[in-house]
Amino acid sequence: MARLTLPAQELMYRGHAACPGCGPALAMRLLLKGLGPRTVLSIPACCWTVIATPFPTTALGVAVLDNPIESTGASISGLRAAADALHLPDVTVVGFAGDGGTADIGLQALSGMLERRTDAIFVMYDNEGYMNTGVQRSGATPQGAWTTTTPVEGTRRGKREPKKEIMAIVLAHRPAYAATVNPAFPEDFVRKVETARDVRGPRFLHALAPCPPGWRFSSEETIDLGRLATETGLFPLYEVEEGVYRITRRAGTLKPVAEYVHRQGRFRHWTEEEVEELQAATRAGWERLLRREQETAPSLPPPTPPIGGTPAPA
Amino acid sequence: MREIRFHGRGGQGAVVASELLAQAAFLDGKEPQSFPFFGVERRGAPVTAYARIDDRPIGLRTSIVAPDVVVVLDPGLLGTTPVTDGLRPGGLLLVNSARPPERLAVPPGVYRATVDATAIAVEHGLGSRTMPIVNTTVLGALARASGVVSLEALQRAIDRYVPSRPRENRAAAADGFASVRLLDAVVPPERLAVPVAPGASPTIPEGPVATVPSRSIRTAAWRTLTPEIELARCTRCNFCWKYCPDDAIELDAQGFPRIVLDSCKGCGICAAVCPPRTIAMVGLEEAA
Repeated sequence: MARLTLPAQELMYRGHAACPGCGPALAMRLLLKGLGPRTVLSIPACCWTVIATPFPTTALGVAVLDNPIESTGASISGLRAAADALHLPDVTVVGFAGDGGTADIGLQALSGMLERRTDAIFVMYDNEGYMNTGVQRSGATPQGAWTTTTPVEGTRRGKREPKKEIMAIVLAHRPAYAATVNPAFPEDFVRKVETARDVRGPRFLHALAPCPPGWRFSSEETIDLGRLATETGLFPLYEVEEGVYRITRRAGTLKPVAEYVHRQGRFRHWTEEEVEELQAATRAGWERLLRREQETAPSLPPPTPPIGGTPAPA
Repeated sequence: MREIRFHGRGGQGAVVASELLAQAAFLDGKEPQSFPFFGVERRGAPVTAYARIDDRPIGLRTSIVAPDVVVVLDPGLLGTTPVTDGLRPGGLLLVNSARPPERLAVPPGVYRATVDATAIAVEHGLGSRTMPIVNTTVLGALARASGVVSLEALQRAIDRYVPSRPRENRAAAADGFASVRLLDAVVPPERLAVPVAPGASPTIPEGPVATVPSRSIRTAAWRTLTPEIELARCTRCNFCWKYCPDDAIELDAQGFPRIVLDSCKGCGICAAVCPPRTIAMVGLEEAA
């Protein structure tokens, strides 16, 4: 049998209630492959509350706690304290929330958890809107995207405000580890989950999660669009450990963002100018990331003095 | 007050059915209410919707746990969803089914009715053969079997609130009204609302509450296209397995993929990511 590039164990079960082609479902599958069975998940109200199927069935082969949408950060702080009190140091405590439950409604609990240095992982699966309730805009919805609450009619051209930069917010808390992951790059995804699992302290993963009904594309394009998001530089893959940035997928040249934009119904109304604006912003963002990586690169360690003292000058 | 609960699948129009019923009751001069269960409104997934009809304004805002009437838009739900839960004695179970009502299992004292709404909807060109829109046909049957609303008001409501094909939907409702099969007799409306004592409040168990793996849930009915793998050209790259969001692909001992057809929702990702393009998405009727 050909060698698998991912762990074989399936802790997300088939039979779940996600839409066909669901990005968040694949993100969960990969996340649990990286985390393994000694995991406690805390899930707020979000698509995954529903995807995990109704009582008495469950699509998740790990312990799960359902919690209110604003509470994930507080919930995992409590779960960590409970695991410590029960002497379960090998249990990984993980919050798994949508972009609304992370960057909007869940923001203060997330900030609290990061600030308290809770030893847990917070995962934001970013489908860029309140998709479970029927596609309403969130702070993570991109500028110019159609949603039911940011319609395209007359002079209205989708969401007016830019997407909230959750990684910048999280990094301002100096987490032990933070990374972006994309289910279209599963090996990179699982490697970062495994890295996060083995680091101690507050950890954060920003997972892109394409949503066929919410972004208005056909269900078989989930992976293609995920790849394009990274290959255009819109969703660069990188990790930050103790303040040091490392880009984990470096494209030679970025693909034009138009390739990503034109395949989604939520951007159907866009003009060439709007595409150009996004292109310029994306290029600037990518260059900023490259600079960050350079600036934070650990300086080379001082040369080890050779045994026997300083060598005689040549 | 009459309480009616609808069970369907996302895309069949269960939510619209409860809204149409309420609109029709309003045209009959009643005080109606309609709302869906907040949950899995995914294409193909089980959906629940509620309607209440009374002569006086309704203050109650809760979901319906002890309905007078249960309407099932998809007979496939009978095996997977406890549709008759809480159905009151003297109440009615109406199912979209080609079978006679004698075949329905119901709690004691519950009336049974069936209507072949799928055949009627297809005949009137409502929806597609794989996903017929049966709601208006079923409402016609409901009007006759339960008397909660008049056929005339229902057809006026269809004219007003159904944006596409109102004429076909009106005809389908009339056919549903004419062809519904009732066991015993037409249920006299006054026999519907039998008050029952409220049940004891549920106890919350200590320890895990949901422990049955979802693998037993079949999601094959969500599918309109089926992946078929040409194994002779398969390079065993695992891409289909790696990217499946439904864990619906297994690898055999040699590393060849196999689609778990009970679980595959037909999203088409495996076909899209397969490097040698050995997976084709075929229509249900072409699929073996």
